[in-house]
Amino acid sequence: MTNYIVSILTEGAIFGIMALGLNVIWGWSGDFDLAYYGYVAVGAYMTIVLTVGPAAAPAQYILGLQLPYPLAVVIAVITAMAVGLVVGLIALRHLRGIYFSIVTLGAVYVMYVFAGQYVPLFDGYNGVFGLFNPMGDWFGLDIYEYPWFLMGLCLLMFALVFLLMWRISGSRFGMALRTLREDERAAAAFGRDIYRLKLKGYVLGAGVGGFAGALFAAYLSAFNTSAWSPVEIIVLYSAVLVGGRGNIWGVALGVLIMGLLVQESTRFLPELPGLGELNTLHPEVLLALRGVVIGLVLVLFLRFRPQGLLPERRFVDKQPVLDTALQTA
Amino acid sequence: MSATATAPALVVRGLTKHFGGVYAVEDCSFEAPSGQVTGLIGPNGAGKSTAIDLISGFKLPDRGTVLFKGRALEGLPPHVISRLGLIRTFQAPREWPGLTVLENVVMARWNSGRESFLRGVVGLGRAQRGTAASELVRAREILDEFGLANLRNERAGNLSGGQKRLVEFARIRMAQPELVILDEPMGGVNPVLGERMALAIEAFVATGTSVIVVEHNLPFIERVTQHVIVMALGTVIAEGPFESLRSNQDVIDAYLGEVVQA
Amino acid sequence: MNEALLTLGFALVTASILALSAVAFTLEYAVTNVANVSHGEILTVGAYAAYLVHERTGNAIAAAIAAALAGGFAALLMQAAVIGPFIRFGATPTIVFIATLGMSFVIQNTLVIFFGAANVAYTLDPGAPQHLGPFLLTPLDLEIIASAIAITFVLYLIISRTKFGKALRAVSQNRELARVTGINATRVAAATFFLAGLIAGYAGFILAESVGSFNPYFGFSFFLITLTAAVAGGLGKAFGTMVGAVLVGIILEFAGGYISASYNLAFAFAILAIVILVRPRGLFTNARRTVFE
Repeated sequence: MTNYIVSILTEGAIFGIMALGLNVIWGWSGDFDLAYYGYVAVGAYMTIVLTVGPAAAPAQYILGLQLPYPLAVVIAVITAMAVGLVVGLIALRHLRGIYFSIVTLGAVYVMYVFAGQYVPLFDGYNGVFGLFNPMGDWFGLDIYEYPWFLMGLCLLMFALVFLLMWRISGSRFGMALRTLREDERAAAAFGRDIYRLKLKGYVLGAGVGGFAGALFAAYLSAFNTSAWSPVEIIVLYSAVLVGGRGNIWGVALGVLIMGLLVQESTRFLPELPGLGELNTLHPEVLLALRGVVIGLVLVLFLRFRPQGLLPERRFVDKQPVLDTALQTA
Repeated sequence: MSATATAPALVVRGLTKHFGGVYAVEDCSFEAPSGQVTGLIGPNGAGKSTAIDLISGFKLPDRGTVLFKGRALEGLPPHVISRLGLIRTFQAPREWPGLTVLENVVMARWNSGRESFLRGVVGLGRAQRGTAASELVRAREILDEFGLANLRNERAGNLSGGQKRLVEFARIRMAQPELVILDEPMGGVNPVLGERMALAIEAFVATGTSVIVVEHNLPFIERVTQHVIVMALGTVIAEGPFESLRSNQDVIDAYLGEVVQA
Repeated sequence: MNEALLTLGFALVTASILALSAVAFTLEYAVTNVANVSHGEILTVGAYAAYLVHERTGNAIAAAIAAALAGGFAALLMQAAVIGPFIRFGATPTIVFIATLGMSFVIQNTLVIFFGAANVAYTLDPGAPQHLGPFLLTPLDLEIIASAIAITFVLYLIISRTKFGKALRAVSQNRELARVTGINATRVAAATFFLAGLIAGYAGFILAESVGSFNPYFGFSFFLITLTAAVAGGLGKAFGTMVGAVLVGIILEFAGGYISASYNLAFAFAILAIVILVRPRGLFTNARRTVFE
């Protein structure tokens, strides 16, 4: 039971970091970026190929430098940011709205295909593995203690990323990003370099996504294209939407809710009459049913509560109002 | 128009732009004097809004030059032109609807140092915090002046059309550009607010901001401007003080009698 | 040269299927201004319907009709249940786009619930390949190409000659204006979706048995190529889309010959990205772009 809770909290923290990164691009800059999960994947793949040893035939993958985990994470994040920069340079130059979304969908699809098909990169469909208990030996942890350590590490990292987002949210940089979302022309008329600012936000988001991917790699100890499934991706985007785009507390809440929804529906759906046997005969059916539930939640929220449960917070000025002439009715 | 010793705020020469086969602006040339309010009027389709887009960098001219503070503006992106001290408004009020009124005004001043990502994370240095604090005080004062103090925490998108225009004016005051181009500020605004807006425009000039106003509301133009430029069919057909245009046959032809009624 | 012509022949088949799918998508876009991400699912539904009917009756024509009807009703349902209400409620295009993405996910999973996720083999006897000029095509290939041309022609007649076609054009150009002149925009949208669904459902049928198998996800992957063709031709322009489809079909077929076929979709997207960046209004419009124009 406790193992279950430890893994839930670890995964939750990782998804929380992912969602916070997506929030920068979608919540604050206002761009519905479908390439985001690609940066998570880049972070995960790179972390593994940087920490494990060289590829042993017949497996093929790049690097294999056996670097210490923290260094690998840094390099992986930088790589994710570099990929994000390339995509952003292209997609953010002239495109907005659904054209932007479609091009980013294309970008993530290209990344997916290359990761899954181009064998010399990450061993194609098989993916890479072998990241066992990173940093565990530094503290002399055995395999029973390690999950606790990883959970603590991920929760700590989530807290740090949350703090970073909290600072950015209240800063002029964060507000400048939001002016781009609210009205780009006005932002340009008041001196903001739209392209550059959007790129900064985009690369920041990609970096956070890559960081989440690096932690994800430690949690899974492996990564391949089956970790890129549509379910994961839809749950991530739904979390940001349901919780409240632009509000970091909302995003955290959204991850909590979607996480619970996914977990609980996996648990109690088989207990509904008739579905139990169906589960054993056709396990994909139950997963599909869960998929239907998640999809419906997404559509319902889009229709009835697109701003999410916790709408964005505004700076409220508490100073007393001076009394002068010319008060507007 | 009295000859001034100071250089004009804006010099436009031979500005030309066409879309498809149609010339929206053709060989448009004028000067806007510094320290005054200049009107830009003309019938619909005269090319006024396109001219503003060309001047402020939102569209690229085919030909022509725009000189502002001794610099050529054509080809520069809008944010660079804005940073040089030329700010324009738009035909529809373009506030930042999800931000509060106060946030709208505070964000009117661009500041590269304080808006960097690094500062976003690390926070402002002591000197910067001082400037930020005084800017906040200034923003509140400006909102007070415009009678918007009660609405400062209100979501700007919830305001009425007239109130949104006032927020735009507050933003201009905050940014204190050398030149502001107002694109139909009275559009969609209750005429009752006209006098308040006229006073606000006069306050702009008093604080060192030259003004160009594009408007269809001719009584308003008469009220605020010292110099008026008339455009028709993409080019300038007349200029001078408003009264002198009433009897200008070209202007009358262009408007088909509208000026006479004003 | 011979090989090139052979490839061109195959490309014509792909292009035919793609043209039907893309023109249906374009109709949906034209009448609602929405990029329907669950468009691919219409093809999938058509494929399943055709398979089921074919299994029962052994009749390919019945299967084709079943595919078209199933597609028509599926599309109608999409419009009535999701797209229409979202538009009426005033959602931004991006929100509706995400909603159709969610809907796509729901439909795919629903199909898995009813039919399982496994591949379903579906083949019709293609007949012996015959030389037709420089091309080498089976009778089935010819039927596909011929039916695509016929459907396109009928569609052209509907759009240009009928009252409905006129209303469709009016709504696609200016919804509000059309309303003012007494056209019931919602009803036109519904009818257009049904029509688009008929075409897309049939496209799903011929695609499935052209590939030889299908599963709940196959429409979605074809949708990505469809999108490329539709954007290349100009979103909302039915006949530009046709040309776009032929071009994309040819490019893909040639690329698939020289690069591994599994990179097909990535290649399609590369084309899409290039088109959007260079000519966002499609290959056939001249559009200058800054972000603001």
